[in-house]
Amino acid sequence: MAARAEFLERIRREVARTKGLFDAATAPRPPRPAEAAEAIRRELAERWPQALERFRREFERVSGVFHRVPDRAAVPDAIAAIARERGARRLVTWDPAILGFDAGPRLAAEGCAVVAARAGREDEASRLRHRADAAAAQLGVTGADFVLAETGTLILLSGAGRPRSTSLLPDAHVAVFGRDRLLETLEQVGVMLEDLHVDPDAAMSGAMINFITGPSRTADIELTLTRGVHGPKEVHAVFVETP
Amino acid sequence: MSEGLLRTPLPERAGAALRDTFLQQALTIATTKFIDLRREAFAGLPQGEALRDRARAIKEATLQHLDAHLERLADNVERLGGTVHWAATAEEAREIVLRLARDRGVRMAVKSKSMATEEVDLNEALEHAGITPVETDLGEYIIQLAHERPSHIIAPAIHKTKGQVAELFSRELGGRFEADPEVLTAVARKALREKFLQADMGITGANFAVAETGTVVLVTNEGNGRMVTSLPRIHVALMGIEKVIPSMSDLVVFLAILARSATGQKLSSYTTLVRGPRRPGELEGPEELHLILLDNGRSRQIASTLREALYCLRCGACLNVCPVYRQIGGHAYGYTYPGPIGILLTAMLKGNESVRELAHASSLCGACKDVCPVRIDIPRMLVELREHLDREKIAPWAERMLFRAFRRLLLSPAAFRASARAGRWLQRPFVRAGRLRGLPLLLGRWTRTRDLPPVAARTFRERWKELR
Amino acid sequence: MAAPVRASLMITCLGDVFFPEVGVAMVRLLRGLGVEVDFPESQTCCGLPLFNSGYHHDAALVAARTVDLFQHAEHVVVPSGSCAWMVKTEYPGLLKNDPARHAAALSLARRTRELSQFLVGVLGVTRLDTRFEGRVTYHDSCHLLRGLGESAAPRALLRAVPGVELVELPGADECCGFGGSFAVRLPEVSSAILDKKLANVEATGARCLVACDAGCLMQMGGGLSRRGSSVKAVHLAQVLAGEVPR
Repeated sequence: MAARAEFLERIRREVARTKGLFDAATAPRPPRPAEAAEAIRRELAERWPQALERFRREFERVSGVFHRVPDRAAVPDAIAAIARERGARRLVTWDPAILGFDAGPRLAAEGCAVVAARAGREDEASRLRHRADAAAAQLGVTGADFVLAETGTLILLSGAGRPRSTSLLPDAHVAVFGRDRLLETLEQVGVMLEDLHVDPDAAMSGAMINFITGPSRTADIELTLTRGVHGPKEVHAVFVETP
Repeated sequence: MSEGLLRTPLPERAGAALRDTFLQQALTIATTKFIDLRREAFAGLPQGEALRDRARAIKEATLQHLDAHLERLADNVERLGGTVHWAATAEEAREIVLRLARDRGVRMAVKSKSMATEEVDLNEALEHAGITPVETDLGEYIIQLAHERPSHIIAPAIHKTKGQVAELFSRELGGRFEADPEVLTAVARKALREKFLQADMGITGANFAVAETGTVVLVTNEGNGRMVTSLPRIHVALMGIEKVIPSMSDLVVFLAILARSATGQKLSSYTTLVRGPRRPGELEGPEELHLILLDNGRSRQIASTLREALYCLRCGACLNVCPVYRQIGGHAYGYTYPGPIGILLTAMLKGNESVRELAHASSLCGACKDVCPVRIDIPRMLVELREHLDREKIAPWAERMLFRAFRRLLLSPAAFRASARAGRWLQRPFVRAGRLRGLPLLLGRWTRTRDLPPVAARTFRERWKELR
Repeated sequence: MAAPVRASLMITCLGDVFFPEVGVAMVRLLRGLGVEVDFPESQTCCGLPLFNSGYHHDAALVAARTVDLFQHAEHVVVPSGSCAWMVKTEYPGLLKNDPARHAAALSLARRTRELSQFLVGVLGVTRLDTRFEGRVTYHDSCHLLRGLGESAAPRALLRAVPGVELVELPGADECCGFGGSFAVRLPEVSSAILDKKLANVEATGARCLVACDAGCLMQMGGGLSRRGSSVKAVHLAQVLAGEVPR
């Protein structure tokens, strides 16, 4: 690979010509990420009420809509209410096995069509059908793998049964999560990311991680803020009390 | 940038910008807003200064082993099933994209905002090859339709009124659209949604690439970054070599301060981490991921006085506080990258000759250094650039002789005193009510808009005799 | 009885030729505070204009001369943030290839202070019995503010004069547009920046605009007098010495 060798050699030569500007270090990394991640989980198991409150504040600050339900059984009702309010008739959701609830029946009762992704169905036909379904949906329902209080951010891993477009194509996105997802600081997110990537193929079935902080937005026209440029106009977070 | 525009001297380009009333208003409003937002954002971040120090250190430390980090990144991307390409020059970068597009039968490519692709003039090359590039960042989409270049690193269409955008959309997309940002955004959303779903290729830049994991990171607000990396079957990311960082622990340091510096947000709406093409278990995502590493003059700076400019995160904070940028906007600079950092990047990418005028488009006030998230000492490097212009004899001969003469004056107190006496005498025709006006030649540039104090009847030295 | 503080004046090229009244005010002010003042007469300039335009070899020659000239000074006081910055931050680097002068430059850097930093940091001035009445506003010169990190001392000194009503200038920390040769290389841009500054100045209703840098005062004073403004651009020393022109 001549191009690669030559390219890198040029850089190597330049790097060797100088000591650099000052003594500098990269960020310290947790020597045992799994342990560090576990320690954070234990800490948040105690601090989740404060983290949740902070998340709610920050999430609302970026125009997120926060909901709270007592248990998983109550989630489909909450989603139905959101769908009703928005006049959404078509929904896409992550695999109910991942979500821990199936919104299908409850929403069918409202006259809404729900297409749920299913892990294990990744053939070309399913792919095309899913794209059409996601493009036609008005509301997408996902879980959240981490929920960052500091910034009001939902962190979603893509993968089997958890398509990327569910939180992207529909006009509204609803993310459902419990206390075990809460994190307080970006620094903690760093530790979780380190942990996830120790054996990434085992930890993640997909290639994308999305940090979602409020709806899609732009101020490109005369600095006037508008929402829902390409991604959702509205983001909802539903917190499920009972784990 | 248009060569024609560059043939107009900088003072004229600046003058045109100063006379553009809407641009003046837009610049004042936009930059003031960004300044306030950034200030608020850092006021709410007690560890902000420490994070800036750490971010700067990470950039410096990474440069010290840049080749090793790039190698690690490439190995990891390839292990994930991605392909890494090595573009030493802008031309090579264009060639790589064109070859890929041709080989894969690409007819239309959707693009997420990427300064690197502007830098290498990618769109023009694609169009010449019969491939349609569609900018999807709203600001970039607007200027693409208008056949213009961006005027700000993060708000590319700052110079356009909503009326102009409405007119533009109506003309190019067919329809009659109100001059209302909500309406216009909805129009763009609909038009571009179609493109996302039909495009064969998605092209992005990269804000960061994590060597340890082979992850390409995109920081966006609109959602187009997510669209172009999930919907088309091929994803091409063009990335300057200086964007590589070692680990995820490094990444979060930058994430903590990047959006705050650029727009005052704690985090942008979307931070997207792309680890290779779609995995076997995924329903969505590109079949192919191509990461093009771009040198284009960057490696030459590693051991040069412009090294620090390689830390740049492209946040635009320096533009917003620069008294010169705030007056003349991005186009007047004439190159892809405007503002304080833009002058350095232009020198880096196009050579010192290209900044013969631009190196002086600064009062050296230092506001840029104050707000740079990685504390790049831009004023110092501008002065170093000016030193290169002298040493390489790029500065005009007359100017260099003038400064040499000035130095001789400063080394001789007798000559210095004599010049003051001469000045006192020569200025007589120009003194009006105790001020100098209407001076000729170089000084006339001052007195066109400002008075000058006259050379004092007695200098301080001459008065010292009575004071001692 | 402590030995009197002895200060050597670095008057600056602009100060010597265009603003001798500032130097005079400074002398009277310092003597009034018990400082013994001297003036090495063969000084010319610190070399900043050469340095900023990239003529570093030339600037180094001027720096060497200046370092020699002030080698015996106990304190060096400069009525200019930019010149003080030049001596304190850039001289050592310019003279790094001449070990003896490099050491002398480091020593000079330590002994040199801009006026307000000298008054507050060395003399500990907190009150002045100066006769001055009126509203003033203060402009932060870029090199004093960002180069030397000083924004408090000049304001504290202005407040130390009983008759001064100090009004904060909106955008006080924004450049006035001088930038040395910048003012004539890009005069239209320089003037546009100045207009913004002066609009803020006039909005304060101040009688005097105060700054600690001759370059800024030339730029802002030149703009104010061209517009026929009644606002006077004066140096801090003039206010503190009660020598503001009517």
